[in-house]
Amino acid sequence: MPPKKKSEIDFAKAFDELEGITAWFEQGEPDLEKGLQKFERATELAKALKTKLEEAENKIKEIRLKSDS
Amino acid sequence: MQILSVSEFVNYINETFRAIWDPYQAGVEGEVSEFRVSQGQWVNFNLKDEASMVSCFMVLRNLNVPIEDGMRIRVYGSPRVYPKWGKLSFNADRVEPIGEGSLRRALQLLRTKLEAEGLFDASRKRTLPRFPKKIALIASKTSAAYGDFIRIVNERWSGLEIDLYHVVVQGDRAPRTIMRALEAAQTHDYDAIVITRGGGAFEELMAFNDETLVRAIYASKIPTLVAIGHERDKTLAEEVADIRGSTPTDCARILVPDKRDVLYELSALEGAVAAGVKALIDEAHTRVQRSLEGSLHWISSVKLRVEQRTNETEEAWRRWFEGLRTRVDSITRLIRSVDPKTVLKRGYAMIMDKKGKVKTDAVSMKAGDMVSIRLHDGSRDATILPTNQTLF
Repeated sequence: MPPKKKSEIDFAKAFDELEGITAWFEQGEPDLEKGLQKFERATELAKALKTKLEEAENKIKEIRLKSDS
Repeated sequence: MQILSVSEFVNYINETFRAIWDPYQAGVEGEVSEFRVSQGQWVNFNLKDEASMVSCFMVLRNLNVPIEDGMRIRVYGSPRVYPKWGKLSFNADRVEPIGEGSLRRALQLLRTKLEAEGLFDASRKRTLPRFPKKIALIASKTSAAYGDFIRIVNERWSGLEIDLYHVVVQGDRAPRTIMRALEAAQTHDYDAIVITRGGGAFEELMAFNDETLVRAIYASKIPTLVAIGHERDKTLAEEVADIRGSTPTDCARILVPDKRDVLYELSALEGAVAAGVKALIDEAHTRVQRSLEGSLHWISSVKLRVEQRTNETEEAWRRWFEGLRTRVDSITRLIRSVDPKTVLKRGYAMIMDKKGKVKTDAVSMKAGDMVSIRLHDGSRDATILPTNQTLF
């Protein structure tokens, strides 16, 4: 499932997935076709994660407590 | 002159107290003596100074800080004469230790009590997610602590949603407003709740030692990160939190990773994946090469085998042919040896009657029979002479 928009990426999930792909390669399963698919996915994830880090800003919203006056 | 019954008098006194004593505007300060709790719910103690003493009564659940004899406190509530005993007592709703010594002692007593209940147990501490998405920040938006926290978060991380719950962070109202914010935050899907304020005098930080607030933090369903004051001031709110930050700045560092580190880590992960896929490609390449070499080897071995087989076949053919020739030769020789012509050549003759039938006995031939005598180079006709009539 590729990330739809850069802003919609779930950073933690995408990072976990990337770590999972790295772990897959470390296990040394000799499946080139799967490896190439995973490589493509990893590249896509890393790019989205970097973009998110470089472009996104922190958002602050004040929550007013109901009985505040 | 007005004469009152005892009951009327006591009632009058109590009404007067109520009219003139505003529990929100006045309190009584003194030293605690003869502090005791009865039936697990009633608190009695005396409050005294150098010259006077007053009995105090309160309900245990209203005792917001632990007190003991010798402690200097302020009590807030109302004076009242008990009709049955005729004794003046101060009904306290709230007590407040006075002076750093009393505050520290009260804090020590509360810490011991909560510790015994297991509120600070390390085993119940939760961890924070590595990359929080959304958090609640309970702080005063006008404080330096808030500014420091936001500055560090912005320096380190991107994409964090912060819901700010603006609260007062010192004074009597502080514990209640912080608790309301904490309660409101429970209904959201925050990754963490951060409670922070900057340093201050020991008394100023007392809101974060409030027992009810400490219990509310303990009960939070969402992991809590609390940083109050400077390193040396450790409040109970920090002790009960899942994670303690020593300062608001430290709190921000704990909450979010540094994006430079994460970018570096991302590059390392990318590198590892690239190395992994390269290893797979190299391996596949080697495999193909090995398989190709294997095929070539197979072809050569087949060729060699075919050649060997061909040679063997040729040899077999040759041998068979030789054998055949030998046999043909011997047969030829045999045939030659029995060929009548060969015998005739040696001087023998073959006699045939006029029908061409070979005569092999003398008895069947009679005088006068015409015969043909065959020699190796031709035939001659002859007539049989009578028996015993010989030519020679």
